[in-house]
Amino acid sequence: MRAPSSLKQEFLRKWILGLQICSSSAKSMSISERKKAIKLSADIAMASARNGRTSWSRALIASASKDDNHGKLFVQQILGSDCERLTKISTSIKRLRCKKILKKSSGTIIRRRMKRIPDKAVASSIAKQMVNKRTQILKSLVPGGVFMDEVSLIEETLDYILSLRAQIDVMRSLADATEMMMSC
Amino acid sequence: MEPTEHRSSAIGPSLDQNALDSLQFNEEIQHLMTLPPENANSFTALLELPAPQAVELLHHHHHRSPESNCSTAKLVTAKADGHGLHHPHATPHHFNPGANLTFPSDISLIERAVRFSVFAGINNSDNNHNDNNNNNHKISSKIDKNNNNNNCSPETTGSVPSNSSGNLGKVKNEPAESDSDNNNPNSPQPLDIKTENQNQKSAKRKEREKKGKAATKKSKSGANDSSEDAEKLPYVHVRARRGQATDSHSLAERARREKINARMKLLQELVPGCNKISGTALVLDEIINHVQSLQRQVEFLSMRLAAVNPRIDFNLDSLFVAESGSLIDSSFPGMVMPVMWPELQAHGNRQQYQQQWHHFDGHHQPLLGGAEESHNFVTPENSLLSYDSSANSATLHTNQLKMEL
Repeated sequence: MRAPSSLKQEFLRKWILGLQICSSSAKSMSISERKKAIKLSADIAMASARNGRTSWSRALIASASKDDNHGKLFVQQILGSDCERLTKISTSIKRLRCKKILKKSSGTIIRRRMKRIPDKAVASSIAKQMVNKRTQILKSLVPGGVFMDEVSLIEETLDYILSLRAQIDVMRSLADATEMMMSC
Repeated sequence: MEPTEHRSSAIGPSLDQNALDSLQFNEEIQHLMTLPPENANSFTALLELPAPQAVELLHHHHHRSPESNCSTAKLVTAKADGHGLHHPHATPHHFNPGANLTFPSDISLIERAVRFSVFAGINNSDNNHNDNNNNNHKISSKIDKNNNNNNCSPETTGSVPSNSSGNLGKVKNEPAESDSDNNNPNSPQPLDIKTENQNQKSAKRKEREKKGKAATKKSKSGANDSSEDAEKLPYVHVRARRGQATDSHSLAERARREKINARMKLLQELVPGCNKISGTALVLDEIINHVQSLQRQVEFLSMRLAAVNPRIDFNLDSLFVAESGSLIDSSFPGMVMPVMWPELQAHGNRQQYQQQWHHFDGHHQPLLGGAEESHNFVTPENSLLSYDSSANSATLHTNQLKMEL
């Protein structure tokens, strides 16, 4: 497991790079825009702290670089030299997986129609349906999850949860510090 | 990667191993085919009927050629060609156990034929996987009566070696990774009445298996509970447990499920409160809730920062940037230490603090969540983490003070 403190440091370092972009245009934006910008920069910083090793981070970066709203700026600033390499990887992987998804979805629909459930298998099929439903939800939560199969989905979820926690810790400490400063 | 030639020669080097195996298959099939006529007509009758249909299926593959099936079908035909068959159509009509393998030597066809015949015989309403296994049991018991023992060498697939005798033959295991490579998680679940689809899949999987992706299979064998293997084949050998089907599909499924279960356990340990829950769906529920709550927290925190923002100058960040150069080599505490902290000095815990910082850096265990969340396990990391956040805030605070002065 990667050392959590180094992950946080990485994240903070990269996030600061992103926040600098924010600050320059801080006066002109509304609160919600600012919030979005901050969140976006945090997400990209978190994803880049993973250095392209995990699938969700690549998916996040790919979607961010296509985004109109400062996404590209953040990606360029935060990733720096790695920018072109990582964006190439991310977008190419996404394109490949899109096709696979189309194939997969058409196949499963057909199969379900033809299935006749005998009585004794009803319980297990219900359980399977429940699991499938939740798997779908989880896929929608994890960035880039729709492209993954179940096995890698679980691994990615693991990594994603860890990264989210690190991100939350850093953001919380920053928020606490600034609010503390404000109160004085 | 998939050859487009029909000739086995073009595929030669990659199929050398397969050729060897298929030669061994030849012998086994000859065994199979010579024995039944001595005994009742059952097996022959079983085989005779589906044989033309099996080859019909094969030909059907060949013509329909969906993307992933195409190559496999071609491989099968290539194999058939390689074994002296000129035209797959001609063979079924001359089903003659005495002849030297007019039937395609591919074991997958045999298995398909057997399974097909059983499906034809048994009520078609039972198309569950369990029934499939039961059928295979019946087949295996029948064949055992014919063969009188485990006649087949270890390469034979699941329908032939007997399960009940306890002497479980080594069964080729289809790599679960090939399933995942196929990106089709539904494929191991046989949901159809139509055996055709199943047969397609079985052919597909057998072919993939025979291509012998040694790398993936070797890595997979580490993850499987595998039996001892006398012969070094590039397949993963999994010992089927007593009372379970030795069908290669179910084995692959089982291996895949075990993989998934292992990872689910990791997730369960990570997500607080999941340890006591049993059942995949509920655990997934918890995981989903946890991820959603984490994402919501990120939203809230970014909102807090956005609200605070306009009143703070981001000189703070420039200060960090200036110090980030020192950050690269040293760790966080290294950056923190040269800064004078009125608060920490007031606490008077500085020495202890530094120690804990070093201690904290030495920890390489996963994060255990923020201090607010209630955890079942209180570990030293938790307290160190709270120190971490307070240290962060203290650092920033004093930096701000420095700036403003």
